[in-house]
Amino acid sequence: MRIFDRLLPEHNKRLKMLLASALTGGLAYIAAIAPATAATVDKKDMVMVVSVINTTNPYMISNIEGAKALSEKLEIPLEVVNSNNSSQTEISSILSILASGKKVIMFVNTVASSDAPTIVDAVKQAGGYVTIWWNKPTDYKPQSVGDNFVAFQKIPGVESGRCGAKAIGDALGGKGSVVMFPGVQDSTTSKTRVAGFKTEMKEKYPNIKILDERPSNWDPQLAARNAKDLIVKYGSQINGVWSADDGMQIGAMQSFENAGLLDKVKFASDGLYPKTLEDIKSGRGGNAIVGETFHRGYMASAVGLYTAYLAATGEVVPSTLPPEKRESLFKLSCVTPSNYQQYLQYDEPDAPKQFVERLVKNGPWNTEPMPLVGGGSNEQGEF
Amino acid sequence: MQDHLSKIWKGPIGLIASIAVLILLFSVLNPRFASVENLQNVLFQVSVPLIILVGTSMVILMGSIDLSAQGVMGAAGMTWILLSPNTRLEIDLGIWAWVAALGLGLLLGLATGVIYAKLRVPSFVVTLGTWYVGLGIGIILYGNGMLPSLTDEALARWPTRLTLGLPNSFWLAAFVAVAGALVMQFTHLGRGILAIGNNELIARSSGLPVSLMKVSVFGLAGLLSALAGILATMQLGSGSPDIGNGQLFTVIPAAVIGGTALSGGEGGMMRSTLGVFLLIILNNGLVLAGINPDYQSGVFGAILIVAIVAVAWPERSRLKVAK
Repeated sequence: MRIFDRLLPEHNKRLKMLLASALTGGLAYIAAIAPATAATVDKKDMVMVVSVINTTNPYMISNIEGAKALSEKLEIPLEVVNSNNSSQTEISSILSILASGKKVIMFVNTVASSDAPTIVDAVKQAGGYVTIWWNKPTDYKPQSVGDNFVAFQKIPGVESGRCGAKAIGDALGGKGSVVMFPGVQDSTTSKTRVAGFKTEMKEKYPNIKILDERPSNWDPQLAARNAKDLIVKYGSQINGVWSADDGMQIGAMQSFENAGLLDKVKFASDGLYPKTLEDIKSGRGGNAIVGETFHRGYMASAVGLYTAYLAATGEVVPSTLPPEKRESLFKLSCVTPSNYQQYLQYDEPDAPKQFVERLVKNGPWNTEPMPLVGGGSNEQGEF
Repeated sequence: MQDHLSKIWKGPIGLIASIAVLILLFSVLNPRFASVENLQNVLFQVSVPLIILVGTSMVILMGSIDLSAQGVMGAAGMTWILLSPNTRLEIDLGIWAWVAALGLGLLLGLATGVIYAKLRVPSFVVTLGTWYVGLGIGIILYGNGMLPSLTDEALARWPTRLTLGLPNSFWLAAFVAVAGALVMQFTHLGRGILAIGNNELIARSSGLPVSLMKVSVFGLAGLLSALAGILATMQLGSGSPDIGNGQLFTVIPAAVIGGTALSGGEGGMMRSTLGVFLLIILNNGLVLAGINPDYQSGVFGAILIVAIVAVAWPERSRLKVAK
């Protein structure tokens, strides 16, 4: 095995060849029985890995917090992979960790959907267990890979868009004009949120017109610039603004505030960032924010890692789970100015620790406020 | 003086014509494009890239490249907001917040310059490193706490507030750009930058303090990136290590479109400035014209190519000689 340690990080191309030939030999037997013998693995031979797209996004920072809390609770060391927005960095860092020979329990927020098969294959060949979060190819299913690809979990996008549309639709009394700020246009997350928003508007609020949509790449600055352009273009015609995440909403709100229009427009978005929570609390812009969704990065990473941990220890055998527990959506809560108080507790400094306590007690499928609520079969286009 | 002014504006006929055509076209497509409100909007959007551009242009004219702006912006922006009235820390150092943030930018720039000039590491590599060092400082300052937002209304509104009908942020950028142009035209440093860009060996053998000039230019570029970071943070009202995201892809193409040769020694501050205007107006015009977002990138690229051809047309013979 020492030769793997030396070769894997630098010679990724050789990885598959080496491991493939190893699998055909004696090691194939060890890999094949890995799930069955998982329960006997000592904790000190395990390593927990949280892989995030970058460490500048508050959501990703929260992912790391959740992983840290679980790592402390389970007393398993944690490795953080910062992909720096690069699939190459992500994959090579993960391969380096796999080469350490420890049993990995991994949560990966993939940079691109197409990264998932490469990462899962490598983890499987190293006998580790991985939960993929948010991005994977639609037809690449945990069930068809095996127990090492424990689960795919994500925050529902369609439901998020619907929450925002409902909040704006109700606030405007079913009549008016709105503009939209999607994220990176071709990302599944943005696409599903946009689809949810448009569908809800079409179905429930036919008298609300979508004036324009300007993808703003999850970038608050770009959203602020686009908002300024749309203010020039439509002026006071704009009654509502929907953004695919709170970062962009923060930028858009600043532009409307600078134009003196903040108290004439209603906003809805996704994520309930602490800054957004502050704005709802303070009633900024005459209660400008009317709708949000609640989910937290630390909850997602802790649930994903814990699911993988249960598989690694043999407490759960993934292949015996129903499909909706292999491909699952988290429950999404719609937040309004009238119910936001109940979510304040989840931003307390010890909230990740408290959540992990409940998670270990109740399991990944039953821990409020973000339990996994089954597959996305009802949500067209969600996976 | 007139001779100098004509030198400043020499050459950009194609560029000015391209901008004029775009303005005309977009005004026809949407009359609001030509409104005073949109002029203020465009000037507001131009201000941050314009400030960065002044420093970056000097570096490019010297025959080097500066990729560090986005990182320095993140570090300086976070430093500034955390020392100004904000939602995270109860601290307000006033003018010292500016000194600290600008000082950090200057230091990062000087360090880059010293490594580049004294250790002879290619500027592409050093500034790439500085980008990440700056970003790293920004990330550490950002930490795990909540997003810091400005609580001082006057500071948050300053960039958009109008003076003589134009936004303050533009006045700041215009001041920097004019100062940059004057430095290039009338000072020893400006002439030295062009001399180094043209031929470093000759510049050195003619007794120019080349290393000192290189360090000074990178220091200045760092200082201006820091100023841009502070302004961008004020414009957004919140701090983020990513505050400079995407600026590099406006600033460097703008300099090149303006006719600044990446090999150095050729081009000018005012021409680079026109390049920024071209890019911002193009983007703003496409939004106002209601181009479907699915096609916007493609249309942006296509118009840009046409505009660059128009810009380069009057100078095609010279460009041909230069390959």
